[in-house]
Amino acid sequence: MIKINNLDFAYKNTQVFKNISLEFQKGNIYGLLGENGVGKTTLLKLICGLQKPQHGSVTVDGLTPSMRQPELLQNVYFLPEEVITEDTTPEKFIQKIGCFYPRYDFALFNKLMGELEVDLSKKFNELSHGQKKKALLACAMSLQTDYLFLDEPTNGLDIPSKALFRQVISRYCSNETTIIISTHQVKDVENLIDPIVILDKDDVLMNASFAEITDKIYFEYGPERIQNAYYTEMLPGGYINVMPNTEHLESNVNIEALFNAVMKNKETIKNLMK
Amino acid sequence: MSNTFNINRFGKILKHDGLNFFPNMILTLAILWAIPVVIWLSNSLTPTESIIDPDFRVGIISVLALIIILLVPGRLYKHCNDPRKGIVFAMLPATSFEKFFSMVFYCLIVTPLIYLAGAFIIDTILALMGGTFEGYAITKAFWWSPLFRKSTYPVLTAITFAFIPVTTSSIFMFGNMVFKKRKTGKMIGILILIHIIFSIIFTNVAFIYPDLIEFFTDLNYEIGWKYILNIALYSQIIVSALLLWGTYRKIKTQKY
Repeated sequence: MIKINNLDFAYKNTQVFKNISLEFQKGNIYGLLGENGVGKTTLLKLICGLQKPQHGSVTVDGLTPSMRQPELLQNVYFLPEEVITEDTTPEKFIQKIGCFYPRYDFALFNKLMGELEVDLSKKFNELSHGQKKKALLACAMSLQTDYLFLDEPTNGLDIPSKALFRQVISRYCSNETTIIISTHQVKDVENLIDPIVILDKDDVLMNASFAEITDKIYFEYGPERIQNAYYTEMLPGGYINVMPNTEHLESNVNIEALFNAVMKNKETIKNLMK
Repeated sequence: MSNTFNINRFGKILKHDGLNFFPNMILTLAILWAIPVVIWLSNSLTPTESIIDPDFRVGIISVLALIIILLVPGRLYKHCNDPRKGIVFAMLPATSFEKFFSMVFYCLIVTPLIYLAGAFIIDTILALMGGTFEGYAITKAFWWSPLFRKSTYPVLTAITFAFIPVTTSSIFMFGNMVFKKRKTGKMIGILILIHIIFSIIFTNVAFIYPDLIEFFTDLNYEIGWKYILNIALYSQIIVSALLLWGTYRKIKTQKY
């Protein structure tokens, strides 16, 4: 489990987090959402130990990531947004780092490369941006770490590749694996993520499962705009209304609408979800 | 599992860094190995055919060995403190000490040894082929160097000179962790600046305290040499220890 307690973090004069507390339970695929610059990548870096909190604590399975202990490092993998790779083939790259990870599976790597339709013989430098991302995803998943952090994994992927990405994540990740996907392209990860964490400047606005969300918030698709809704948006054929679920009705979460509703009613929804 | 050092993990990090070694270093090694060949060829082709003695060739090989020592951290561990490219290095499941020790192993031991082995083999082959290379450089290198054998303090002289590559390596390993770009060039610049500053300080000291200079000039040559060797050795030990510690700390605390 990942525990963040009273975390303060700033880059020189820019405060990113102020006294935030958050927990990530094992075995879930979290969607980490937030506007640009709220600190999604920074939060992932803090959890991986690539940054150190100025105040408060971050622990992963009771270990402090900033200590960079091998016991923890062999159970986490961070795939950054920007694709930076060595002048080598994905196969050589994974063989070079795979031996450090106890559950690394080369057969799985080959299988994933095949399913993601990446050319095994080409070097990273010879692959397109999307192909590099898919190759690195295959590398990351074949390490079979307990925690996998993906920063904007669908950026630069074409439409079929986005579907392949969702397919691979849902098919090959064990129930024990915790995945945190940081993204602002919520449509790409719809039906994949649950729970959702929404970050705001200095604050966490929401950390809730779909069940918890739909227990308190109702998503209505209808022909009319509802006056007291948290958020209303016109869709082809009608409106989506996000409103309090006072009558405990069942509905399906629309992540984009939820995100917009939270952004428009920060304090109200934050208090509602407490 | 040890939190500081585990031999299995260290073996893995050595293998990891070793796989990066040849792709990153082979061209540099080849260029430096080629320099004595170029000297041999150019000298053999000139009409004078002046003989190049082994002491001179040992000097050239030593300078080239120092050059490769100062180049290797920037080539082999170029990206390890890069905010983006360094993430792979930082997240490798090994302790900072194991990563540091592997860095020291490749920068200070493996690279110079591979270079020296190649350089002396090439020198021997060229000498065997005849031409202008007289004798074998290997017979005048290391402990067999007249610099040590003819010295009044052979052991102290040898230890002091042996520390030159250690200090050079520690300076450039530290620079490699501190600077993000043009690492080797910046470190050379800093060393030149330090040299200028010390020269100015010593010139002023000599001007302000002429008695101190007199003390040294009045010393017996051998005793003076011993003073210099001791000062050089201890300052090298202190500088190397501090910079190696600094490199380790940078590996441990580097943020990305």
